[in-house]
Amino acid sequence: MRIAVLGLGASGSHVARQLGASDIDEILLYDADSARMRLVIGAMSGSAAARSGEPDGAGADIVILATPGGNHLAAAQQALANGAHVVSMSDDVSDVRSLLALDEQAAGRGLSVLVGCGFAPGLTCLLAVHAANLLDEVVEIAVAKAGTGGPECARHHHRAMKQDALDWIDGQWILRRGGSGRDLAWFPPPIGAHDCYRASLPSPLLLQRRFPEAGRIAARVTATRRDRFTKRLPMLRRPHADGGPGAVRVELRGRKNGVFETVVYAAMHHPSVASGTVAAVTALQLAGHGGRPPWPAGARGLAEVGDPLPILQELHGRGLRLATFQGLTWNA
Amino acid sequence: MFTLIGRIVAALSMAGFVAALLRVRGTGGVPPQTEGWREVTGPDLR
Repeated sequence: MRIAVLGLGASGSHVARQLGASDIDEILLYDADSARMRLVIGAMSGSAAARSGEPDGAGADIVILATPGGNHLAAAQQALANGAHVVSMSDDVSDVRSLLALDEQAAGRGLSVLVGCGFAPGLTCLLAVHAANLLDEVVEIAVAKAGTGGPECARHHHRAMKQDALDWIDGQWILRRGGSGRDLAWFPPPIGAHDCYRASLPSPLLLQRRFPEAGRIAARVTATRRDRFTKRLPMLRRPHADGGPGAVRVELRGRKNGVFETVVYAAMHHPSVASGTVAAVTALQLAGHGGRPPWPAGARGLAEVGDPLPILQELHGRGLRLATFQGLTWNA
Repeated sequence: MFTLIGRIVAALSMAGFVAALLRVRGTGGVPPQTEGWREVTGPDLR
């Protein structure tokens, strides 16, 4: 099995590291920055399977797209044409929409396109399905994310704040102004409580496909007053090389045995490390590691891959810390 | 003057009485004292 990683930034390099610690025949690495590519390959000297690859991932059975969001469609189409499965880490709404539209094309070739395989969306989708398994009926889903990965992730966070957010409310999509809708979200320690706001985030798009009956699905990100005040300006300073540590939080409200209940799951890690781990584990599961049956061909997010437990178990085994909030059950 | 002070005392007394009543009879319950975030371990993922 050959797996290609296109883009070796903060998240892509962690994908490569995770694959290097796995039983893979060959890992093909590519980055437009050749110095960066040599650096990552050199750092993986312990893994004899890693070598430089082609810009389109030619020769790979699975192509992981870890390049900045916004241009994943063309790369995914090329990978499909080359006969490879695709794992996209993009959290860009237009990327997610266009990749999901590849469903028919991918299914026709007997290939999978897995969309939004990162921290949020990605891990949040798995946690939402896991939480939903504890309920009879899902009424509301709220996703929140704190922290950013590498510089491109920080730039995307800045752009997302000034674009409209998509909220799923009572069977229809409602556009809401980015930066509005302040909500105080409590993340596990050491992240703690942060104000979160609406932004152009793809999580509702991916979760609505799995939970079309839910009355409300929304996603928010943490932001400061300065973030909101300067959202329409260029970034005032260079983003951090890594914007962690961070966390994601998924809150589901629904009914169990006629009683209204709330289930909250969260994960804490540096977003770049967590995103890289989620994408790598997704690719490994796609390659048949863990002995799970093959996923059906087509385009889908991680909320639609069936039982999330095998992936969550593998992520936990690779050091991702998951948590649940207890003490939120009441009768309504 | 006495009337004003008397009214203030009466108002404060009534407020205290209502507060005491709510404190004793209120059904809001006690917020969770021991619950909170719990790390998910292997058995939770089976």
